[in-house]
Amino acid sequence: MSAASSPMLLVGVGTAGSRIAHGVSRAFGGDLRLLAVDTDAASGQDEENFLLIGGNRLSGRGAGGDVVAARLAAEDSISALDGKLEGVRLAVVVTALGGGTGGGATIEILKRLTDLGIHSIVFATTPFAFEGEDRMRSARGVMSMVEEAASAAFFLPLDKLVGGEDNMEAAMKRAVDTIAGGVTLFWRLVEKPGYIRLDADRIRRLVANAGRGRFAFVTVQGPDRASEAVDRLVRSEMLAIASAPVNAILCGVLAGEDLRLSELGRVADGIREAFGEQIPFEIGTVNDEATFCGRLSVVVMLFESAAAVETPQQGQAGARRRGAAKSPLGPGQGSARRFHKTEPTIWHGEDLDLPTYLRRNINLDL
Amino acid sequence: MSKIHAALEIGTSRTVLAVGETQTGGRMKILSHAEIPSSGVRKSQIIDISQATQSIRSVLREIEAKQDSTGGNVEIHNALLVASGQHIHVANAEGNAVVAGGRVGDAEIMEAARRSREMPIPKGRELLDIVDQDYQIDNLVGITSPKGMSGRMLRLNTLQIHASSDRIQDARTAAEGARLEISEPVFAATCTADAVLEEHERRNGVLVLDLGGGSTGYAAYCDGYLAAAGVVGVGGDHVTNDIAYAFQTTNAQAERLKTDEASAVIGQYTTDNARVRLTGSSALMESRAISRRALDTVVNARLKELFTVIRETLEEADLIHRLHAGVVIAGGGAGMRDLESLAELELGLGVRRGRPLQVDGLEDVSDPWAFATISGALLYSQRASGADKSFLGDIIGRFFK
Repeated sequence: MSAASSPMLLVGVGTAGSRIAHGVSRAFGGDLRLLAVDTDAASGQDEENFLLIGGNRLSGRGAGGDVVAARLAAEDSISALDGKLEGVRLAVVVTALGGGTGGGATIEILKRLTDLGIHSIVFATTPFAFEGEDRMRSARGVMSMVEEAASAAFFLPLDKLVGGEDNMEAAMKRAVDTIAGGVTLFWRLVEKPGYIRLDADRIRRLVANAGRGRFAFVTVQGPDRASEAVDRLVRSEMLAIASAPVNAILCGVLAGEDLRLSELGRVADGIREAFGEQIPFEIGTVNDEATFCGRLSVVVMLFESAAAVETPQQGQAGARRRGAAKSPLGPGQGSARRFHKTEPTIWHGEDLDLPTYLRRNINLDL
Repeated sequence: MSKIHAALEIGTSRTVLAVGETQTGGRMKILSHAEIPSSGVRKSQIIDISQATQSIRSVLREIEAKQDSTGGNVEIHNALLVASGQHIHVANAEGNAVVAGGRVGDAEIMEAARRSREMPIPKGRELLDIVDQDYQIDNLVGITSPKGMSGRMLRLNTLQIHASSDRIQDARTAAEGARLEISEPVFAATCTADAVLEEHERRNGVLVLDLGGGSTGYAAYCDGYLAAAGVVGVGGDHVTNDIAYAFQTTNAQAERLKTDEASAVIGQYTTDNARVRLTGSSALMESRAISRRALDTVVNARLKELFTVIRETLEEADLIHRLHAGVVIAGGGAGMRDLESLAELELGLGVRRGRPLQVDGLEDVSDPWAFATISGALLYSQRASGADKSFLGDIIGRFFK
């Protein structure tokens, strides 16, 4: 399948988000469906994969840190987004909260994805402490909205991600590279699975329900690399940022052809022992000798939503249905809320409770 | 003395109760049946027990009223529960037995069956049925009658059909509120199949679709046994909802558009600019008219998708090419216009509507396919009560049902 027709789309929002998205794309050798969305025309690296939003309102000069202006810009241009979403079933959105475009436009983009029945996984950074309390407050204000609008949301505090030893520029660059690395690993896990595939339905179910989650990854090498990977993950600050108990675990093990079954067992046992042996656990592998030669990468996603386990897809369905209720058709007019008290019907990642003609973008010519 | 059977179906669109009696010769005669629109049910699952109880009370009262008018006096204290909805899962299971003397006898067949019944089901699930499929002796597969054959290990393949204990309990609770005891839950799709299929169709390979209001059950038979079954959480109610959403109508208006006007095939009877006038309680509402082509497009998209899900499911199970007898569609949603044509197109198989066989008493019904499931449940009850209750008898009964 060519990248252009892939059902998975990587969306970078704002300058930082777009930079991360391009980093992932480069790591993937360009064979990835990508869209960079920004209010700043200068961040558009190539026209085909770039969507300038709020051109009339902001003249392509960026939102200047103004969340409201960015949100209005996204509203202005939201219909242009539709043309970039043909055939997309899952969008991975990378964004930076605390800034204007990331903080403002991300919400509108997520809502649009929801309205179109597209699942979304958000990787959103929150500001460094040195960026000041205002930016942190702005990020905190948006986080709950992102969590509500997205199918799954991972908030990545930059301080915890890269530490505080670097100077500002170096820290920013390292943060971008680190997140790009993590998202790339996740992308590989889904797009280029190895001998053990993650159960596709389970992934969709986890993602559809997930709400807020925790995300971390490590890359190690050496004779005892599996144990070291587990040890580092268990001690990872990124997995310690809990807002609720863990209810499901998704684990990816990426290595070359030298990946041993015993290593896989050690990783699985270690992660389950650390985060809960009774919790639903999904594991998948990527075997890519050219990329991982001698190295072992482990990606862990901890899902916190109780709904993820007890009532599959409820989180996403709820988000979608909130979107549906705000549709131009108005509340109470035969919306998908008719099914909102029941377990959603998910097929290949799609919520079949939503009207088919809407999900298929069928023009009814009323 | 003839045996009386009762079955209750708490569907998304309607609640149905039927009472039947075994006639001389073994045919089932439906003595009385009643249906009322359901309340408190979505996608085949109860979401409001008090409303569901009220529906059951109403349907019981209607049965009593019908009996009063016809001089009947059957009191209904318990009934089979027809279970549907996507909480129902079907899983493969098996039972193995060592063939001690090198030749399979009754003892090995019973042992394999006994072991297959010992296979556990997941926690929180209630077993609806275990259906025997075929046997395997060592590496020889697809055996239907293993007795007398030589080998070392006999395996009986089975399907476990189980449902969420909570969802079944909800139905029990709702029924108890109406002073009706649920004797046993049974799977809707296999009940439908029991009612509508000819034996030769099961042998040649056939798919039964039970198109209900909130979900669609399916049961595929090959070589005489149930090869696959399941439930897709999409039914006629989704079609109604799509229409209501697209044209901003009430659900009642959308339901009328679905049943009276829409076609599953786009442009089958209409010109491009044909319009359908809405009925409603106000002049404003009645002044509206919608495009018939757009209406058909909405319905077609939903049903086409449903058949695609079914087709892909059967393709994954490597069954679609084995269904030489085609498809039989029944259930309340089977009456939609041109449904058979669309199903033929999407599934690539011959399609017919299924009406209950071996059942009398539905002559006055204009949509017999809508009573296939409840009829199948009565037939199941009849078979269960009349069957040889010995262990081997039960196994044989299940295998050949």
